[in-house]
Amino acid sequence: MAQAIVEVEHLNLSYKNVRAVQEVSFMLERGEALAVIGPNGSGKTSTIECVEGLRKPDSGSVRVFGKDPWRRRGEIYRQTGVQLQETEYPAKIRVEELCRLFEHFYERPADWQSLLRQMDLEDKRKRPAGKLSGGEKQRLSVVLALMGRPKLIILDELTTGLDPEVRQNMWTMLRAIREHGVAVLLVSHYMDEVEALADKLLYLDEGRQRFFGSQPAFRQWAKSRLSPDVWQEGGTLEQLYLQLVPKTERITMEGIL
Amino acid sequence: MRRFAFTCRIEFCLLVRNFFGFFFGLIFPLMMLILFGSIFGNESIAPGSDLRMMDLSIPGYSVMVMGVAGLMSFPLTMAECKEKKIYKRFDATPVGKKHMILAQITVNLLLAAAGILILWLAGKILYQVQIRGSLLLAGAAGLLSMTSMFSMGFFFTAVGKGAKISHLLCYLSYFLMLFLSGATVPDLLFPESVQKIAGLLPMTYAVDLMQGIFAGDGLGMHKKELLVLGGLTIVFTAAGALLYRKKDWA
Repeated sequence: MAQAIVEVEHLNLSYKNVRAVQEVSFMLERGEALAVIGPNGSGKTSTIECVEGLRKPDSGSVRVFGKDPWRRRGEIYRQTGVQLQETEYPAKIRVEELCRLFEHFYERPADWQSLLRQMDLEDKRKRPAGKLSGGEKQRLSVVLALMGRPKLIILDELTTGLDPEVRQNMWTMLRAIREHGVAVLLVSHYMDEVEALADKLLYLDEGRQRFFGSQPAFRQWAKSRLSPDVWQEGGTLEQLYLQLVPKTERITMEGIL
Repeated sequence: MRRFAFTCRIEFCLLVRNFFGFFFGLIFPLMMLILFGSIFGNESIAPGSDLRMMDLSIPGYSVMVMGVAGLMSFPLTMAECKEKKIYKRFDATPVGKKHMILAQITVNLLLAAAGILILWLAGKILYQVQIRGSLLLAGAAGLLSMTSMFSMGFFFTAVGKGAKISHLLCYLSYFLMLFLSGATVPDLLFPESVQKIAGLLPMTYAVDLMQGIFAGDGLGMHKKELLVLGGLTIVFTAAGALLYRKKDWA
């Protein structure tokens, strides 16, 4: 039987009067990659932050390695690495110091020098974290996420702001770590990325779960919801997704240009 | 323990690079000592008294150092980490934010201790200053005074959503107390109305306690100071903790 790494059942979370997450349930097993997709404000990051133990759900159950991440956060992070959507570090801390600091947090840390090399950050070792570019910060966050040799890695918009070459390298890296049995939970707006990397999809919209299942099952589900004249057999995930999400009004730029 | 020591080492490097705490905690008090010493000398505070100016100035400057660490360096760092959600990233590690906050407190306590030690060594060498009271009592009084400053700083970081209000409270309280508490200028020189205001400031009690204990007083002579500083420590720590319980760190 496959080993469940993340189990979420009937998750609900509100901010004041806004119901950010409603009745979301999903599961992630060892060596699987699950992508959480949906428009901005659909509850993706809120859902992920409940799994990360950074937010306390209003109701429902979240289990990571069989433990409640809100109550036993320290324990789950012995086996979990994360890259948060927005990460800041003390401005004057050097890349090397940050790596050494994180190295001390784990019992069996990875070789951070090798990670820096692989993320093409070796020449930035002495640079203050505050002086790194957006892409460099993103790559550094991956180095730190991998520092504890995680069995689960959570990546929130990993490749946002990265150039195409670095994106490709990230994909290669993710495929390689999955081969080692690491479960990957990622949030992404890039459907080409999701199509290339994810086994399963969790599609959220306005905090509600619209779909959870495999990529082929998602295509079947989408086909059943779209009219035959819109449906494209063999279309990309991005084409499919754009047909599913609510449309914005046509942009005409009338009266502006 | 090894992990905590390493975190403290990194925090110490950051403290040195941030300059403010390092300069105002270690160098500035020494400059004050030399400057005021060269201007006013080390005369008796009153005819016939064996207490000299420096016997009062050094405990006062020591409280100034405590204020730099507890009301400026530590809370400004904590407010910045809170606002930029730096603690959130550390919460996503096995150690959590408490580990980082504890390291920041430790490093700033050590900064204050080092600043005070340098001051006393300089006082001893340059002005033959002596501690007349018990060293143990002096240490206890220093610890209580320091704790009260840190608890106030901690409370200020908990007020407001971002760092702006915390910064304002820290700067305002520190500079107000620096000049009115008697830490830098003897409060006997103030008019009565200013002395009344000084009586409302926590740092005034720390200065009175430190000056008294270093001059040879027993703790029994400073019940009011002990009560005020101890009470403020409890109130500010509890109020800060209560505000933080309601805060959204994510």
